[in-house]
Amino acid sequence: MSPQPQVSQLLPSVLQHVVEGQRVTVLDVGPALPETVAFFSAVPCTLHIADLFSALPLTPEDDGPSYIEQFRKLLPLPAATRFDICLFWDLFNYLPVAAASALLEVLHPHLHADTRGHAFGVHKRGTPEDSRIHGILNADTLTLRSRRQLLPGYAPMPQAQLQTVLADFRFERSVLLADSRLEFLLGMRQEKREKRT
Amino acid sequence: MIGPSIHIKGTVSGGEDLLIQGKVEGTIDLGDHEVSVGQSGKVTADIKAKIVKIEGEVAGDVTGSEKVVIAKSGRVRGNIIAPRVTLEDGAIFKGSIDMDPGDTRTDVQTAAPKAEKPVAAAAPAGNQKPGLDQKHG
Repeated sequence: MSPQPQVSQLLPSVLQHVVEGQRVTVLDVGPALPETVAFFSAVPCTLHIADLFSALPLTPEDDGPSYIEQFRKLLPLPAATRFDICLFWDLFNYLPVAAASALLEVLHPHLHADTRGHAFGVHKRGTPEDSRIHGILNADTLTLRSRRQLLPGYAPMPQAQLQTVLADFRFERSVLLADSRLEFLLGMRQEKREKRT
Repeated sequence: MIGPSIHIKGTVSGGEDLLIQGKVEGTIDLGDHEVSVGQSGKVTADIKAKIVKIEGEVAGDVTGSEKVVIAKSGRVRGNIIAPRVTLEDGAIFKGSIDMDPGDTRTDVQTAAPKAEKPVAAAAPAGNQKPGLDQKHG
């Protein structure tokens, strides 16, 4: 499936550190894509590719290890790693609330005051699934590939609930896309910054 | 060349290019030369070379002082350090990639842990409400 380009109003802000020429550390929770690797190859960076989508559905906590344990196994990050950019794509549409909270808890030590995030959500909870694989073509253009099959566990949260779950982040900007999908630019919450000082 | 029926455990080093079609467990260090892991190659080892091309399976850290290429049939689980990394469509990779296009030194050894950024240097977040823009199309 050839990737389709989609201009993003928010991507330039997500990638501000890159545009400024800083060395960046990036978390991409999607599969490794040629265009994303090529984009970050042009700048000094460390790109962590985890493909958490391939781990869906997570094992329910009642039937196995806790979500935190599962994410710690899926994200074996060196203690010193601090992400400047977190590319969550539409992962939160597929995670139970407890799992999304657990992911943020696992990531918490690896975030810093200027970490920026990118995510997709939905405007209305009943929005049909439109599962895509996302990549970065350039500083203002994403790529979209259709998945060969739908992912299990599609249950998007309303934005208000997502804001509560993503406790470390504040939603700096949202863009309403076609099909009632939302694109989010995430920054760190002020109170979290102060707590970490 | 390490043929498809060859299984090596230990350290592989040398002064020429190497094609691996068999199995290697241990470490591979070819300095200024090229290592190719062919489609039938299965490597469970750290690899260091000038150029590393992967068409088979690699589990381990890969350091290419010039570049690392993962072909469409390649499967890599580990960390890559190289000035330039190319991933072909269909390749499977899980791990981290440490890239610096301006750094072509041959002594790229380890990904130095990045110091935690001082929180005190953070830009003010402000308390503005999140904006909602309408995108057409």
